Amino acid sequence: MSALSRDQIRTMMAEVLAAQGKEMPAEDTANLEELGFRSLDFSELALRVEDETGEELNFDAPGLRQIQTVADVLDFLEQLQAA
Amino acid sequence: MSDLPPIGPASVVVVSGGSRGLGLAIVTDVLDRGAKVAAFARTITPELQQLADAHPDRVLVASVDVNDHKALTAFIKDAEAALGPIDALVNNAAVGQDAMHIHMSPQQIGDIIATNLTSPLVLTRAVLRRIMARGGRGRVVMVTSVCAQRGYSGLVAYSATKGGLDSAMRTLAREMHGRVLVNSVAPGFFASEMSSVLGDQQLETIARRTPSGRMVEPDNIVPVVRTLLFEDTNLNGQVITIDGGSSI
Ligand SMILES: NC(=O)c1ccc[n+]([C@@H]2O[C@H](COP(=O)([O-])OP(=O)(O)OC[C@H]3O[C@@H](n4cnc5c(N)ncnc54)[C@H](OP(=O)(O)O)[C@@H]3O)[C@@H](O)[C@H]2O)c1
Repeated sequence: MSALSRDQIRTMMAEVLAAQGKEMPAEDTANLEELGFRSLDFSELALRVEDETGEELNFDAPGLRQIQTVADVLDFLEQLQAA
Repeated sequence: MSDLPPIGPASVVVVSGGSRGLGLAIVTDVLDRGAKVAAFARTITPELQQLADAHPDRVLVASVDVNDHKALTAFIKDAEAALGPIDALVNNAAVGQDAMHIHMSPQQIGDIIATNLTSPLVLTRAVLRRIMARGGRGRVVMVTSVCAQRGYSGLVAYSATKGGLDSAMRTLAREMHGRVLVNSVAPGFFASEMSSVLGDQQLETIARRTPSGRMVEPDNIVPVVRTLLFEDTNLNGQVITIDGGSSI
């Protein structure tokens, strides 16, 4: 199955946030800590992307620690899909 | 009385992963103590080569991947030919981990288990067979980790291997009754290539939370390994945790 687009990933991220009663910000510069989007939320999002594409996305913690904004989340998942 | 005499100090010590970090510090200390060392790693560093050049009759070094079991056996054979009968092993070589379990591939999990658990057990077997075949006695030290006793995220497979080694250590201590002393040293985090993934902030937090007020250094661990290799303490089947009290 082909890689998910940035917009599709953004929609999935909104679903992860919505499940916790949180709203997806309009700006990609929004800070994850302020948003309450934690590393396990990123894990959940990555696993949802995997389910959709049928491909595992393996990554280590240093990569994860770099992620600070919504844009970083989208960039990282795009990179992982392309790897 | 049926008491056995104490097992003597080590005279020829195999050190896995002796090229840098704690392993190199252990190699240096064993040499300072006057014993002989057979050390290997995948890459021989200039520091290890320097020791070999300075003590050609007491040091054998080779580039060996601990997961290449044929090469491992050949190394043990070469070590005995060059240095004499092996009577001690420090199982120090290992690879670290910094990834959540759910995001590791099965292959990555298997690789960590191979290097940190399966191969140390294979190496231990090889050394014990040499000791037993000639009716000798000896000592084995496993370098494990405080991760085997406490949970640290990002270290699931790594912790499993260290816990596995601690368990094997206890069973070996019983199985090798009267012939081999087997113990573990379990360090807390210390600065090395393995822990270089930790950021300054994490290192500071570890130091702050350590009851002794400072992080562990290889220099703290070396004397404990030295004791297990050379002294008559009757320590056997024990995990000695060296972490400044972090895990209490
Ligand atoms: N650093 C810590 O915070 C910490 C804490 C608790 C316990 N420990 C334990 O302490 C021991 C030493 O760690 P360290 O921090 O000194 O690590 P290090 O600096 O990364 O050194 C690891 C050594 O093992 C060797 N090695 C790794 N994979 C190998 C392989 N496949 N075959 C042969 N040799 C291999 C390395 O050489 P090559 O890469 O060239 O092969 C190197 O000599 C390890 O058992 C580690 O688990 C470390």
